[in-house]
Amino acid sequence: MVNNMATQLNPPFDASISLGDLGIAESLSKCIEPKLEELKGKRIVFSRDDKKMIPIDGWGVRSDLNPTTVTTIRPIKENALVAAIDSSSVKLAETEEGGLYGTKCGIATAYAGRALMHFKIGPVLFYLSESSIQDSELEERLARLTLLDDDFAKRLIRVRAERAVQKELASHLTNSIILVDGSLKASAFEDRERSIGKIAESCVLRKNTMIGISKGTKFKVLERAAYPLTKVPGPAYIEVDMIIKSLIRNTVGSNSMIKLEKNSPVLRSDIVGDRSESLGMLLGNDPVAGGYPETLRLAHYISIFTSTEMTCLRSHVLNSYDVTELAADDIRRTLLGSISI
Amino acid sequence: MKILSKSGNELLLLAMKDDSAAKGDYLLIEDRSRSMIVQVYDEEYLSSQALVEDIVKEEVVNASSMENLHDPLNIGSLSRLVRDARIFRAKIRASVNDGKLSSDVTWLPSRVESRIRRLAMKELDSFLGRQGIFSIPLGRTSDGEEFEIYAEDLDGKLTIITGKKESGKSHLSKILVKTLVQHGAFVVIFDLNNEYNGIGWNRDGTPSSVHRQVKLLEPGKTLRFSLNYCGKGAVSGMLKNALDMPAASLREFFRIWDWLENKQSLSMDAIGNAVNTWNINELVRDALVSRYHVIQSSRLFADNGLQFEDMISAGSGGAALVIKMDEVSPTVRRMVVELVLSKFVDLLERQVIPPIFLFAEEAHLYIRDTYWEDIITRMRHFGIYTTFITNQPDAIGDAIYRQVDNIFLFNFTNDGDLEKISKVSLADNDTIRSIVRTLPQRHCLAIGKAVCDLPVVIRVAAAEVLMFGETKKFFKK
Repeated sequence: MVNNMATQLNPPFDASISLGDLGIAESLSKCIEPKLEELKGKRIVFSRDDKKMIPIDGWGVRSDLNPTTVTTIRPIKENALVAAIDSSSVKLAETEEGGLYGTKCGIATAYAGRALMHFKIGPVLFYLSESSIQDSELEERLARLTLLDDDFAKRLIRVRAERAVQKELASHLTNSIILVDGSLKASAFEDRERSIGKIAESCVLRKNTMIGISKGTKFKVLERAAYPLTKVPGPAYIEVDMIIKSLIRNTVGSNSMIKLEKNSPVLRSDIVGDRSESLGMLLGNDPVAGGYPETLRLAHYISIFTSTEMTCLRSHVLNSYDVTELAADDIRRTLLGSISI
Repeated sequence: MKILSKSGNELLLLAMKDDSAAKGDYLLIEDRSRSMIVQVYDEEYLSSQALVEDIVKEEVVNASSMENLHDPLNIGSLSRLVRDARIFRAKIRASVNDGKLSSDVTWLPSRVESRIRRLAMKELDSFLGRQGIFSIPLGRTSDGEEFEIYAEDLDGKLTIITGKKESGKSHLSKILVKTLVQHGAFVVIFDLNNEYNGIGWNRDGTPSSVHRQVKLLEPGKTLRFSLNYCGKGAVSGMLKNALDMPAASLREFFRIWDWLENKQSLSMDAIGNAVNTWNINELVRDALVSRYHVIQSSRLFADNGLQFEDMISAGSGGAALVIKMDEVSPTVRRMVVELVLSKFVDLLERQVIPPIFLFAEEAHLYIRDTYWEDIITRMRHFGIYTTFITNQPDAIGDAIYRQVDNIFLFNFTNDGDLEKISKVSLADNDTIRSIVRTLPQRHCLAIGKAVCDLPVVIRVAAAEVLMFGETKKFFKK
């Protein structure tokens, strides 16, 4: 009877079972070849929090491009307005049917090398549900994804808000420089009337220049191509149209890798207008600090949501839309516990 | 206002821009049938790292370029509200259960349901049951409500008025003296700066309501005693404590006194003759002669001196006996104090006079150290109720603070003074340090029996009487 009891209390398999017996380690090592031996002798940059890290002095790899393709940018002392645009979006709340998102846009202007004024637009709220998505002219599959994925929804709102501002600036300014954060690439989220193509068209018609500046690029080949810029003492650019056009479609304007100051990072730039003249006008009219235009930096700062604004938005929603706040919990925290190191 | 948190006997209250409360104000937190009385003792901004960063960032951005806003939801105004939000730190003082004040503050009011409102002084008084017959209007509270204490709160009590120079201490003490006299009390004032004589006059120079009741006593002039009236005890106390006469010399003095008294020829001249001819050791004679000359030069003794009981019975509607001590030497001051206090104790012991109120400015300058506790403990039983007025809180010993019933605290900014007063006062350290440091001129924090142990900030009323004793200045405005 004692023996029977022991049998009943035992687990279905022996407690001393090892991973080796299950063959998990072997299977894991075969799922993809680790090839760690190839790391030997490589120069590495560790990633931090999924952020794009770049080596301060570049990768030091040789470029196949001829060094003569590097063009020096000379500041043009001809006064023109620089208007930089940036935007951000956040998810504020969720309902059973959709999500409530907020967006903010910032426009910072400079003239003759001095900051002029800045405009804060928003926060503006958007409630994305099935009905609002249907009216957005989005392709059906994308519309459904937008409702399912917060990142898609935030991107939709940000792209549309930013394009709306860009379109208005392009249609109202003349002989000005419109600076955009990021590349000038058509997005699946933009609406037909305010597409990047239409904005570029308006720019050309009103003799405006549009420059999109990206802080980082996913294409390692571009970093290699921009290597000669690290050796140039002053502001300069390298044309990379061939590389970009072969990798992605739907870009607008000419593509370059630029360096705006001595010892500053190399940035990707898409330009609608004459490349040399546009960059020269930019340097002549917008103060540059740390290799990045001040207007674009300011536009970024004024467009991001502060924690106070988030608090105020919550209060506004509760007070203005007759909603009932439900008690909620962080599901990851609930399930995974609160062990923090 | 909303409750944010509680720690010990302290509540943190969140207040928006329109919620007003000053340091010292009382708030009532109502939670269903129960209420809690708390007192605001400090105010600060609602501050978090993120909020500070937002403010700094905005200022930097606005300094670099001009701002234009398009804020359709008017979130900016909400944001400004958040940035202006304040935290009131409040001490829990009491609770109210079914309309009755209770010291049971072990319960927590609801953060959600509680309503917080300012408590008017009248309402607080009704909870406290603070009432009396002989009111002393002191001024107003921060709400502008009239505030009064009652003469009964000073009767039989030890009171201290302290604060830094020119903060309004004398001003308050004059209000107390004048009102006590109006209520028929007898007040003796050791006036170091010749300022209390002004009680008899209004600011416009006309006689005040207590003009006839103010008696100015100048040592050597209007304040002179006969030796018989003072008695051997008072004189020996004066010799011993004010003139430091050694015991051996004192014994010889007693023999001379007794001999002259038996002969019924006790006078200053007779004592002088006796000292010179008495058969004593020469060192003792020297000690007696030197003291005799000090007494002679003080002119405190005469054949026909005043009698306090006569003055008091003459002023049956109350009197202020202002003993002017500004023009006499420190030794004579000590002699005067010894004689006056000894005589009053004698009169009170024999129940010849009613109890008196004693106001002593900067008493450490003329009352010897060992005498303090005597004043506090023994004299209270005889019927001398003392009010000390000083700008040096450390001049008063801890033993006296422990006996104190009422403290009127004016502004102190010096950390040492605040440290001292917060250690010994009747209210908690946080309240004292925070409120007293920021009190404006002529505002005081009243603590003790007069306010039923709930500290109250008072703006002392403007003086109706003539202000003497102000600092003489070379450069006149």
